[in-house]
Amino acid sequence: MNQDTLQKNQVDAIILTRRKAKEIRYCFYTLLFLLVIWSIKITIIDDTDWDRIGNIGSIFRSMARFFPPDLSLIKYLFKPTVETFMMAFLGTIIAVILSLPVVWLGARNITPGSSMTYGIGRLIMTLSRSIHEVVWALLFVSAVGLGAFPGIMAVAMRSIGFISKVTAEAVEDIDPRPLEAIRAVGGSQFQVILFGIVPQILPVFIGNTIFQWDINIRRSAIMGLVGAGGLGLMLQRQLLMYNYGGVTTVVIAVLVLIGLGEVFSYYIRKAII
Amino acid sequence: MIVVKQDAMPSKTVSRKTWSRFKYPQSLIRFSIYLFILVFIGYSIAYMNIPLDRFLTMFGRLGKMIATRYYPPDISYALDKDYLRYVLETIQMAYLGALFGVLLSIPISVCASFNVTPNRKFVYPIGRFIIMFCRSIHEMIWAILFVIIIGFGMLPGVLALTMFCIGFAGKLFAEEVEAIKMGQIEAIRATGANFFQVILYGVFPQVKVMWTGIAIYTWDSAFRAATVLGYFGAGGMGWYLKQTIEQLDTLRVSAILLSIITLVIISEILSAWARNKIAKK
Repeated sequence: MNQDTLQKNQVDAIILTRRKAKEIRYCFYTLLFLLVIWSIKITIIDDTDWDRIGNIGSIFRSMARFFPPDLSLIKYLFKPTVETFMMAFLGTIIAVILSLPVVWLGARNITPGSSMTYGIGRLIMTLSRSIHEVVWALLFVSAVGLGAFPGIMAVAMRSIGFISKVTAEAVEDIDPRPLEAIRAVGGSQFQVILFGIVPQILPVFIGNTIFQWDINIRRSAIMGLVGAGGLGLMLQRQLLMYNYGGVTTVVIAVLVLIGLGEVFSYYIRKAII
Repeated sequence: MIVVKQDAMPSKTVSRKTWSRFKYPQSLIRFSIYLFILVFIGYSIAYMNIPLDRFLTMFGRLGKMIATRYYPPDISYALDKDYLRYVLETIQMAYLGALFGVLLSIPISVCASFNVTPNRKFVYPIGRFIIMFCRSIHEMIWAILFVIIIGFGMLPGVLALTMFCIGFAGKLFAEEVEAIKMGQIEAIRATGANFFQVILYGVFPQVKVMWTGIAIYTWDSAFRAATVLGYFGAGGMGWYLKQTIEQLDTLRVSAILLSIITLVIISEILSAWARNKIAKK
């Protein structure tokens, strides 16, 4: 009898804690919901110029300005498209080269020093990833002047973080036995990296590089908006001339370029892996 | 494979092949690929007239520029009340954009994953196309287009981020759905469940944890994009960035950049913490 009540009390306690957790969760959801409502009120209802938007018809009218696409622009589009492609290509290559030392510093099992160098590597990765490519482009435009070069550097700096982070994680996950074997036959640290680590991470590395190259085409298409060359410069010009048909043409060119890049990267990935 | 050809009788012409990892046709293909990449690098450098001499001096110049013009950053400007209000608006913008994007990308990604899509001939390509389309156009171009259509303010920013998140989260969501175990789906179908019940009881429980992680990561990326969306007129702190850059007020620019970096790193730490917590649970 006594044990039954004890058990009952325990069950009651469990039910009570569960109910409490549920109540807390519902409170949390309500809070979240209120937060969403508040944000919607502030950002969408209060901040928007509803008179400027007008009714649905005027939205469609302003969308109709983008059509039909300005086809007379097509013959000027070839060069910037090629330039955008090359910007992405060179940016990815520079990013790959620059990310190698960062991987060396930022992978816990091969970092040369102590936690100090590891921290430096991680810091570079975070900084490179957290600064948006537009900001990088602004910095490089003011450092090296206008043209395709700052765009390449901006794209490269932005990709270093991703490539080196994923590669460093791959390096930390590798099988340590081949490294031991190479050390046992007297290989130096450099040889250990070259023959023990590189073959193990190469597929991951190449896959991520191609993935990043794919994204970099997207990124280099907007570099022109802040003063680096490529399709973005074309877009900026059309925007400044209020030639919205031309804007549509440039956006279509970007889509075609990215579609080609996606097909291309699919086949490369298939051929390598 | 080691091919060592040795004659039994020691003669003067001992032909000995050195070991190489790749045999004749493969090695030629590899070599030509490397050569092609090198030639393409050279060609594109020539095509775009890249001043290579600037490459070496660039980092020095960047450092000097930051030291002389951007150095002491005008921190008090970044702690200004108006600016902090814009920071709050940026956070709200990212939050709303990510919320709408994630909510919209749930049905789209279910339609765009090959194994559970309601119709493989029509709905699947349409879902794929929507995700591809949203992903292909950079969020800044989305912001510009929406600013042209509906004017300045935070609504175009929220809409641009929504498009960005549909592309970003939709792709990852669809990949997760395509990796689920089909046995449970079949079991639920065998009991006579309709499409929505299959999704609700077969797919969601399997992808819930991964999707939550992806949603948090999406918010993180959306915030990163939101910090500069204002540069093209879509509200938030990017507008301040544009204003100070056009005024050549470099000390304030550096303060704003510092604040952006700090906020992004904080959001990254928060999202990493939240994702870890969810993965453990």
